[in-house]
Amino acid sequence: MGAKRDFAMTRRKLRNDRMYYLMFLPVLAFTLVFCYAPMVGVSLAFFKFTPFKRRFIGLDNFLDLFSGIKSTNFWRAFGNTLFLSVSNLILATIISVAFALLLNELVSRRLKGGVQTILYLPHFMSWVVVASIFTIILSPQNGFVNNLVVFFGGQPSYFLAEEKWWTPIYLFICRWRDTGWGTIIYLAALSGISPELYEAAEVDGAGKWRQAISITLPALSVTIITVFILQLGKVMNIFESVFVLQNPNVLNVSDVLTTFAYRIGIQQADYGMGTAIDLFKSFIGLGLVLITDAANKKIRGSSFL
Amino acid sequence: MKEKLSFKKGRAPRTLFRIFNAAFMALVLILMLVPLLKVVSDSFDRSTVYGLSLWPKHPSIEAYKSIFTNPNLFRPLIISIITTASGTVIGLAITTLGAYVLCQRSLIGRGFFAKFIFVTMIFNGGLVPTFLVLKGLHMTNTLWAILLPASVNVFNIVLMRNFFEQIPVSLFESAEMEGANPPQVFWRIVLPLSGAALASIGLFFAVEFWNMFFSYVIYISDTKLYNFQIKLRELILSEQNINDPAIMGFGNMVKNAGVVVAMLPFLFIYPFAQRYFIAGVTMGSVKE
Repeated sequence: MGAKRDFAMTRRKLRNDRMYYLMFLPVLAFTLVFCYAPMVGVSLAFFKFTPFKRRFIGLDNFLDLFSGIKSTNFWRAFGNTLFLSVSNLILATIISVAFALLLNELVSRRLKGGVQTILYLPHFMSWVVVASIFTIILSPQNGFVNNLVVFFGGQPSYFLAEEKWWTPIYLFICRWRDTGWGTIIYLAALSGISPELYEAAEVDGAGKWRQAISITLPALSVTIITVFILQLGKVMNIFESVFVLQNPNVLNVSDVLTTFAYRIGIQQADYGMGTAIDLFKSFIGLGLVLITDAANKKIRGSSFL
Repeated sequence: MKEKLSFKKGRAPRTLFRIFNAAFMALVLILMLVPLLKVVSDSFDRSTVYGLSLWPKHPSIEAYKSIFTNPNLFRPLIISIITTASGTVIGLAITTLGAYVLCQRSLIGRGFFAKFIFVTMIFNGGLVPTFLVLKGLHMTNTLWAILLPASVNVFNIVLMRNFFEQIPVSLFESAEMEGANPPQVFWRIVLPLSGAALASIGLFFAVEFWNMFFSYVIYISDTKLYNFQIKLRELILSEQNINDPAIMGFGNMVKNAGVVVAMLPFLFIYPFAQRYFIAGVTMGSVKE
């Protein structure tokens, strides 16, 4: 009896709510086609593609990557991914926190607002625009930086095509673009610190420096750690910034897994191998996300998954 | 709490710090702005050798003229404008519909829907399988490959849902009492009340579509469908522009002008819209 009535009620509710389901249909369809359908395609990693057919080859693609013909380039790309991404993350954290603290100490509201506006600005430029600006500025023929170098009596160099210059320049450009944007979240956290804490510290005779060490940094630490581990989950995804700044001369220091997968999978149309590289990348990325989620749970008592 | 600059006993270290801080920020601003100023200045300068000047020596607007009159450069600009406008509309439609349905607490299957789309934040098929799916759908070399996949953005749906959940439930209830169906409530009550969220997320989409580059690299090989970012990249990479009649004679000036045009829309909108951009960032973090 009861079950029957429940069933009838459920049916009535479903019918009443049919408009909602209809409204959700586009979202569902798009997700299915553009997100889930490609997931099925991950199986391509176990195939070898020749122009007219594909052949199941089990783990051969992975063996080629780990110890076979592709292994030199693969491990190079893996190492570069970790190195560039992690150094970028560490620099981003340190520099953004430092900037947030310094901005917070600017007494003049107008100066602070002006500096913030200009610092945030490059974040809205595409990586193509950013890369274009620096390609022009750093150009070996008559670029601004080389003109400066020559002006001070140095020899011009082709900065973006030299291995020793590429990495520091890449890291600098990333900071140039995103330092300001990174400070937003820390500034929000800073404005949340109760002024009473500082007043109490002042009464106790603590100077500004002491206050920064004993009040500000501890109050920021949760935000810093949270942002850090959230970003750590994304280190394998480093892509467009590298793609637009790299060139064949500096692949040794600039080829990352995503650009490697693009070259093999799309440009050379080796679909199986490209998917295998991507799958490996996702696998490591997923591991990192799970680890960071566990760390987040421990620190903040909440999971973001 | 106005602090005066003073070197009286005990205040000197603080004052020195403040002077150092302001000087450091000024230096940073110079570092941020010099590359931009150089590019803007050179885009107006028809000299062949630029030197160190941050002001055009031989002012000219030839480069901009060529961008707006030469079809090789003007067409990509139009493509950029069209895709940005339509992508933003499609993106907002998907985002608001998804968010509206996901905030219906009593809806059967809501939990499943939420999980179904959240999963895509963690898992994705990756570059090659996504390319093959779009190719199978005959979307490669059409602008649909640009517009449709990017319009489902789970993060934006979550932001929008958080915003919708702040709308008082009593408003929905009274509308339903008067016989409004869900689409009517959505259109007449939810959307008009969500101006700030629509602006904020609309701007995210607009920036994304305007700046879109790599999707074109993968999906579009027909040069007629290139957007301005792709064209700019092509311009910058061409060492000497002698072969391209579009920019013969003042290649470097056109490169610089291309950069300026590619960043122009957001340089204009940004000062007015800054609070919406920042609202988007803090909206996301507050909810966590």
